[in-house]
Amino acid sequence: MAIVNLQDVTYKYPLTDTPALQNINLQVNEGEFLAIIGPNGAGKSTLCYTLAGFVPHFFKGELSGLVEVLGKESLDSTLSEWVLNVGLAFQNPFNQISGAKYTVFEELAFGLENIGIPREEMKVRVEDAMQLTGISDLAERSPYSLSGGQQQRVALTSILVMQPKVLVLDEPTSQMDPIGTREVFAVIRRMAESGMTVILVEHKVEWIAQFADRVIALKDGQLLLDGTPSEVLTSPILQENGFGISRYTSVARKAKEMGLWKRNELPVTLDEAAEGFAADNHI
Amino acid sequence: MHERLSFYVKRDSPLHHLNPLTKLTLVFGLVLISFLGPWYWTPHILFLIVVLPLSFIGRVNREFFRALLRLILPAAGFLFLMQAFFQPIGDQVIFKIWFLDITQESLLFAFRNAMRIVMMVSSFTLFLLTTHPSELMSDLTRRGLPGQFAYVIISTLQILPQMQAKAQTIIAAQRSRGLDTQSSFLRRVGSLGPLVGPLVFGSLVEVEERAIAIEARGFTSTHTKTSLYDIPDTNLDRTIRWFLIMLVILTIVLRLWLL
Repeated sequence: MAIVNLQDVTYKYPLTDTPALQNINLQVNEGEFLAIIGPNGAGKSTLCYTLAGFVPHFFKGELSGLVEVLGKESLDSTLSEWVLNVGLAFQNPFNQISGAKYTVFEELAFGLENIGIPREEMKVRVEDAMQLTGISDLAERSPYSLSGGQQQRVALTSILVMQPKVLVLDEPTSQMDPIGTREVFAVIRRMAESGMTVILVEHKVEWIAQFADRVIALKDGQLLLDGTPSEVLTSPILQENGFGISRYTSVARKAKEMGLWKRNELPVTLDEAAEGFAADNHI
Repeated sequence: MHERLSFYVKRDSPLHHLNPLTKLTLVFGLVLISFLGPWYWTPHILFLIVVLPLSFIGRVNREFFRALLRLILPAAGFLFLMQAFFQPIGDQVIFKIWFLDITQESLLFAFRNAMRIVMMVSSFTLFLLTTHPSELMSDLTRRGLPGQFAYVIISTLQILPQMQAKAQTIIAAQRSRGLDTQSSFLRRVGSLGPLVGPLVFGSLVEVEERAIAIEARGFTSTHTKTSLYDIPDTNLDRTIRWFLIMLVILTIVLRLWLL
């Protein structure tokens, strides 16, 4: 069953002439892990804001078409109702810290205080969420004294405690080092496994290939490709349109031209590439 | 980088356990009484018999004396000298340098005003030392202070040190590109532009992101907010507050009556 339903969505930011999103049609099923890729200015963040209700409620501008989550329409709802169903986290972990709280535990409770959750339930929810994302040991630290990866995990947890049905993540690892990226992806994987619907914008295609059920590619506000990770991420259309592609795909494509890669489908991750080369060359 | 703009010292004392509003009432009560009190020695006596003992009861006497010596007394001392020299009242000259003279009246006048300032700043210091800012704000929010207002106060306290750190980064970045920040005063004023510009514009972008981030956590939700911590408001608290309010009213009445 489609939990997210976008039909013919077109959106223009205020004071702009070209639409940031054009005729987007997208259905996402409950529990699905959808990844979004696209070059800069493709409309990825705008799509995230649309799903999370900030377009049009926060940014204003002209929205046409249908944006539906759990059968409710975005335009008929207020932002503060909408965020209960759709959680949003984004790039800069520093800016996602409320600044109103002195410890991580208080920071995580901030959203629950806002929506009026009783104290006892609040504590249980915060503790459960910290357990899930593996940050229980940070509970008493100041959010500002944490590393980028830790801060981003706190930001994700602060959305997780709100228990949204759909989680929208806009490049959560783009400012992380490799260690931070691994920590954050471990959290995202656990959230997806707990049954949440996850929509993730991400440049690191090797990570997408490991996690996503489905990938869409955006360009100039339009939907270019929609399919399984291996279909989309190895499509020749990506390279022609200036998308970043996996180095393993590039290597295998070159190898294929030289007759060294025998299979039809190209690899995205190191493991797929190694496995393909080993099988074809009887290593 | 990790420091924050808060004087709060975590201790276990009767003063720490009072409701934040009670302490706030105490501060405003003391300040009003020391300014409106009808007798000359009111601020001096209040300082000796209320504020000083409270710093021991609150078990923050060390921190309190440090603030007193480093900040409050020098400021009050400066004010005292200025007023003693420049207040053109009285004719009993006690002391004279060049065209400046101190009269008995100006000396007394300056002493009282300085003491009023000491009272005001020291009771606020005591309040800040024994009250956690977020405890104060959640208590005031529960009593009807708009959440947005409380948020602005608290987040400013936390974000200022972060902005300071960012300003340092920008200064270092601009200096490494040859910006002069150490020569004559005029040139330093001229180099403010490249420092303030990035800081202000960068902060504006941040404000939008932070607005989105807190909105995503239901900041403008119409539900009645709850609080993680239970901030007790006892009968003792209410009694103290009423007592203080009565005392302030009494002071005002006395003042009007005696004048």
